[in-house]
Amino acid sequence: MNGGKMFGGFVGKILKVDLTTKTINTEPINEKIAKNYLGGKGYATYLLYQYLKEYESEGITPKDINALDPENVLIFATGPGTGILGFPSSGRYHVMALKSPLTGSIGSANSGGEWGPFLKFSGFDAIVIQGASDTPVYLEVVNGNAEIRDAKDLWGKNTFDTTRILKKKVEGKNTSVTCIGPAGENMVYMACIVNDEHRAAGRTGLGAVMGSKKLKAIVVSGTGKVPVAEPERFEELSKRFLDAMKKNPVTGEGLPTYGTAVLVNIINKSGVFPYRNWQTGVNPDAESISGETLAEKYLVKRRACWGCTIGCGRVTSVKSGPFQILYSEGPEYETVWALGSSTAVKDLDAIVKANHYCDELGMDPISLGSTIAAAMELNEKGYVPAEELQGLDLKFGNAAALVEAVWRTAYKTGFGKYLALGSRKLCELYGHPELSMSVKGLEMPAYEPRGVKGMGLNYATANRGGCHVTGYTIAPEIAGIPEKIDPLTTEGKAKWVKIFQDFTCVVNSTVNCLFDTFALSAKDYTEILSAVTGWNFSEEEILKIGERIYNLERVILNKFGFNGKDDTLPSRLLKEPMPEGPAKGHVVELEKMKEEYYKLRGWVNGTPTPEKLKELGIRL
Amino acid sequence: MEEVSAKVLLFATLREKYGVKELYVKCDGTVRNLIENAASTIGESFFNDVYDDSVEKVRDNLIFLINGRNIRDIKGKVKIKESDEIAIFPPVAGG
Repeated sequence: MNGGKMFGGFVGKILKVDLTTKTINTEPINEKIAKNYLGGKGYATYLLYQYLKEYESEGITPKDINALDPENVLIFATGPGTGILGFPSSGRYHVMALKSPLTGSIGSANSGGEWGPFLKFSGFDAIVIQGASDTPVYLEVVNGNAEIRDAKDLWGKNTFDTTRILKKKVEGKNTSVTCIGPAGENMVYMACIVNDEHRAAGRTGLGAVMGSKKLKAIVVSGTGKVPVAEPERFEELSKRFLDAMKKNPVTGEGLPTYGTAVLVNIINKSGVFPYRNWQTGVNPDAESISGETLAEKYLVKRRACWGCTIGCGRVTSVKSGPFQILYSEGPEYETVWALGSSTAVKDLDAIVKANHYCDELGMDPISLGSTIAAAMELNEKGYVPAEELQGLDLKFGNAAALVEAVWRTAYKTGFGKYLALGSRKLCELYGHPELSMSVKGLEMPAYEPRGVKGMGLNYATANRGGCHVTGYTIAPEIAGIPEKIDPLTTEGKAKWVKIFQDFTCVVNSTVNCLFDTFALSAKDYTEILSAVTGWNFSEEEILKIGERIYNLERVILNKFGFNGKDDTLPSRLLKEPMPEGPAKGHVVELEKMKEEYYKLRGWVNGTPTPEKLKELGIRL
Repeated sequence: MEEVSAKVLLFATLREKYGVKELYVKCDGTVRNLIENAASTIGESFFNDVYDDSVEKVRDNLIFLINGRNIRDIKGKVKIKESDEIAIFPPVAGG
């Protein structure tokens, strides 16, 4: 039962908090919206669009909204899969904001751990934060009750201390904290939101949005349960899917054994592991920072997110030396790349330590590592006056400078105040925007599209900017999942990118882990979502939901002034041929793929046509 | 057939299972012979782990790179040349 109606997967309530007026309200989950957008990213995107329309009716145009002003809206959302034991890898939540400080458009990020399920157990499917407080506060949500509390004593503390203090204060089963560190408080543009000490909603600078609202943390706790509409059918499907994941070589062996960093050697040997701020795709020192090296020398044990059978998380330590750290988690593949390969740092001790500081201070290592790498190239080319670096020796390969730069960025001290702007603004500031390896202001992750063309199209067209998990075509292009396609060709890539982008919206709105899609298909999702909610979806309807979400998100982008001109890549990838490796001589032939992609999407100049919106049932 | 020597690199669980990171293998230029000869050095089970003799090709779930190109992306008959680098990965993904 849910609000008197029979549908499962939701606990039925959204918590709405206005930090300016200090008021708290609730509203029921709307069945029609949930049927059309699911939860998580989909439901949040729908709500953000309603806020945008409301602002417009009040005379506030999209360009009047500043990411760090009280008008920005921040949403934490779970989905119909979250918190249901037996639903594969369902320990996640999604965070969205109307505007990201890094990109100037919609902000979006996703995190694992325990916080998502525990939010649901506390009695809410989502939390909407509006306005801004004058003084630091945190939100406490326990078994259906929510209170705004004073956080003056927490302000200035790192994410680990904040988490431990609040967990001690709010005792009880299923208690979890999501919070910001000093980087978020200082509104560093790549600040992230950290939950359970080492899990993060990392991308698009949402920690800075939280900081601008003076919201230090949200602690959730509860003993509620998530209803399942058809328990017997669900049990049968759950057993089948968990078994499939266990037997799948990726989810059952590769990821549990080596974590995500197992990709380092594969991607490097494929010639698409960006090195020295994307000057090439081959790193001669990749082995020293690989998943195999991490497992051999640093791994203590695995740590899984709530309800996950994969367990790709790594507990690690650096036993001695200047970068000693006795307990840490990670680094993930992307982190190893951004803090290591992009900066040419081959000392894994330093990378583990820098990653630890990113968790502790609350920053996205992808954007931070990329920004430091861009600064290294700016510096080595003589574009940064030495006095502005204030002793920070930003040269490729300098491990000590990398670790120091992490601190300076979080506290915006010295050159750190420029790094805190992200690579796009940093490179613009020094007159060389072409050295920012970003799309729409978001730094691209660890795959070189000159040698993986589908990923190039995905980066260019991803709504949130340079993002790999919007449409992870590495699966077919490199790993051969679900089928092998040649990474160096452009043919058929538009179709793959569209399918992956749409289906990923379904995953992020369910909300569960993208990794289970190595073993589970859209058909599997259709079956289990139908059993949980009680709505009998067809596979076509499920994919249509994904397409609807992607298009509505694009409508918001268009309102912020983004269109086809922004669906592009850094000129290095379009004009400079790859200098070495298996992709030697290649550039990304973007326009050709983009034309086909827009045609498949029903878009003109990066904008959905009225016919497409009508087909998807999106009313503007 | 002319004898060639290639560098074979093993990764992840394959590296762990056979305790070998890299080895140089002589072969007659065919993939089957390369794997067969590698197996005679590091362990007979290696052949079956990597090659499906019933369909006469490298197992589809592996990532088998010849100078960085996946064998499944190479058109026409595959020939191993002198000093080629062969990188073999078990089925892994993520990131």
